[in-house]
Amino acid sequence: MNRRDLLISAGLAPLALQALSRWSVAEAQDGSRIFTLANPTGFPDLDPSTSFSNDGLVLANVYESLTRYVPGTTEAPASVAPLLAESWQATDGGKTWTFTLRKGVRFHDGTELTAEAVKGSIERTMKIGGGAAFIWSAVTAITAPDPLTVVFSLSTAQPLDLIASAGFAGWIISPAAQAQDNAWFNAGQDGGTGPFRIDSYEPGQRVIASRFADHWGGTPEGGFDTAVFEVVEDSVLAQSMIESGNADWTYSLPFDNLEAMKANPDLQVVANPSFENLFALLNTRRAPLDRPRVRQALALAFPYDDVITAGTAGLGTRSRGIVPPGIWGHDPEAPMVMTDLEAARALLAEEGLADSGLELTLTYVTSDALEALAGELWKANLETLGITLTLQPMAWEAMWDLSKADPAQAQDILLLYWWATYVTPYDYLFNLFHSEETPTFNLAYYSNPAFDRLIDEAAALSGTDRAKAEDMFKAAQRMMIEDAPAVFILDKPNVHILRSDVKGYADNPAYGHVVFVNDLSR
Amino acid sequence: MGLGRYIFRRFILSAFVVVGVTFLVFVAAQVVPSDPAALYAGPRPSAEQIEKARAELHLEASLPERFIRFGKAMATGDFGVSYKSRRLISQDLAAFLPATLELAAFSTFLALLIGIPAGAFAAARRGGWLDRMGGLASIAAVAMPAFFLAMLLQFVFAKWLGVLPLSGRMSREIAISAPLAPVTGFALIDALLSRRFDAFGDALAHLILPALTLAAYPAGIAMRLTRSAMIEILERRHILAARALGLSGRRILFGHALPNAVGPALTVLGLSFAFALTGAVLVEIIFAWPGLGRYVSEAILSKDFPVIAAATLVVTLCYVAMNLVLDLAQALIDPRVTLK
Repeated sequence: MNRRDLLISAGLAPLALQALSRWSVAEAQDGSRIFTLANPTGFPDLDPSTSFSNDGLVLANVYESLTRYVPGTTEAPASVAPLLAESWQATDGGKTWTFTLRKGVRFHDGTELTAEAVKGSIERTMKIGGGAAFIWSAVTAITAPDPLTVVFSLSTAQPLDLIASAGFAGWIISPAAQAQDNAWFNAGQDGGTGPFRIDSYEPGQRVIASRFADHWGGTPEGGFDTAVFEVVEDSVLAQSMIESGNADWTYSLPFDNLEAMKANPDLQVVANPSFENLFALLNTRRAPLDRPRVRQALALAFPYDDVITAGTAGLGTRSRGIVPPGIWGHDPEAPMVMTDLEAARALLAEEGLADSGLELTLTYVTSDALEALAGELWKANLETLGITLTLQPMAWEAMWDLSKADPAQAQDILLLYWWATYVTPYDYLFNLFHSEETPTFNLAYYSNPAFDRLIDEAAALSGTDRAKAEDMFKAAQRMMIEDAPAVFILDKPNVHILRSDVKGYADNPAYGHVVFVNDLSR
Repeated sequence: MGLGRYIFRRFILSAFVVVGVTFLVFVAAQVVPSDPAALYAGPRPSAEQIEKARAELHLEASLPERFIRFGKAMATGDFGVSYKSRRLISQDLAAFLPATLELAAFSTFLALLIGIPAGAFAAARRGGWLDRMGGLASIAAVAMPAFFLAMLLQFVFAKWLGVLPLSGRMSREIAISAPLAPVTGFALIDALLSRRFDAFGDALAHLILPALTLAAYPAGIAMRLTRSAMIEILERRHILAARALGLSGRRILFGHALPNAVGPALTVLGLSFAFALTGAVLVEIIFAWPGLGRYVSEAILSKDFPVIAAATLVVTLCYVAMNLVLDLAQALIDPRVTLK
């Protein structure tokens, strides 16, 4: 090649690229009827029986459960709404539940929804026993006395209407699909009744779902024809896509970028409270944190407002106890500990720990920026009280192994997030604070028989007398605030970014980062 | 030693490598502190679920028994299910491996196409402006971090000029309106097989930027290696003889000098191909490329051992196969290597 050839090639290259881009397909005919979601993670498991991860976003549009949870607002209390079940009734003190199914519901394969199909779906999920199947652990038998009636028998009283609304393990599957294995579902096939059906699945890339014309709810005015669930792990790329209109919805962008996006007229930034909260579990089995007043002092020394401002761009909210707002049983009047270093100092002095050179270890998950920040700021505050806090970032599995071993050898403080698999205050209170013989998630190693009794009784009542159960759960939360086995830090915000021409968007925190595309239009 | 024996010997050595890697993977899984049962039982397991998982995974069996079980499974290609997602690993590999192989092969091809001729020209015009420009370009290509180059290319070709797609493997419009029937899993080949030239163009357009990003480093290295080898060879006497015989410059360069000089460059390209199979995680993330690197890195973070084992084995096989091909290619280009 001589110099002239080289120059000619250099000149031709852009032209060739141009041609190539023409060749690659232009926008589809009517892009306005396509809703594109840029999701920051992949969809590991599309089997509705075992899915227990970010795949919920897809499945919630393709499958339906018996009921759906409607979060509480300032205007209306939380409730459970009918979905595939039209009505239900608890008898036998909450140990027998009878669901009456909606008429005329069809699966995507054309077969009709029957009680047998519901029975088969839940039994498949229980039999495989993966994912969130444990939500059905109290179910001893399911019967189908007639085509539209399903009866669940339970070993203990449980709020089965709430359990059935779970975002995982509650999906109803067509009889033909029930006979399939995990690989069949993960090859991009489905057996749901939902408003969308899966057309194709390209792992690591996207799921394409199109509207199911025979959905029992009909097609809403101006609804989307197609939902495209794109996997976009790089937040810079996700931001480019939503700014350029190549995506209609995304989340998990850095908080620092939100201001610029709020100012962009093409975008709407929606912040809602989530059902996920961050707290610090204090090792109640190890001196000096076995003393409630020392634990209270640590809570007083926590820089709540600074962490919310710096860690969540002010979008997080202070926790009032362990049950977040929007969940029934949340206590909006519960006392809130305020940062007060002088009060903390006084408490420590009363306990004989003034400038005692106390050394504590805090573990948190390595990659979690919010936890790291919370640790750093808390450490700074504790330093002024003469307490040295050693921050120990660890991989989650290693951290969990350490904390499940002997409490006497474990960490002093552990940062943890929690959310409910199905929406009940019992999920938070039981998993985190109920006495455990071997620790699983009660990593404060807290044990209080009076508290255990109170929440167990409330749980048994929550199927039949929810108002009374709610009062008991509130009392239990106040016990936790007073006894301080944990420092309740913040309720995480759900921040979603949408194109501004998308209408009808409402976040439902019971289904974390799930969009019900059927509700939307452009 | 003849070519046949040479290939046979390479083949036996490769088999040893594969068996050795299988053993190492198994040992590593025993040494790393983690509880597979806890992972398999799901994100919030109860004690009973963990016990059940322990039984299902045969964790109570003796160590030799487990190794035999593991070796058998690997030999038959039965990689089992992922601890974390419970998906069939063979199904995942079938989805992710072709995407990665396609990208790695295309980028190696680009590196070969750019690096070796550029090195040869630079050597032929030693000290000239082409040589100096090439030197600068190769240093830039080698020194620039892949993530930065990726964003630069995205900015110039996707956002600014708008001639190439920003990310992904194929446009969603194709996937929605007329999806390509997967036959081999390689988008380019599938498109040709089904005579979908729109899909072929689309897939090629998506391939260019990530492949260029990955090609930069090996192309830079290959260029420098070829250049220095060529400079040495161009001063040898058989080149002088060729010149004296009046052969054209181009013929001397490509017919007589280059075959003696490409050895090291080919080795580097082979290695970079193997590296691209799992080492291209950043490039895959930035271009939302559904490849093996992303899949494996996620498995490593969650200690999803069966996935790591399966991927390690598959990559080892690809690597060994690539090395065999390279050895063969070198033996054909330069028969002296079979004598060593």
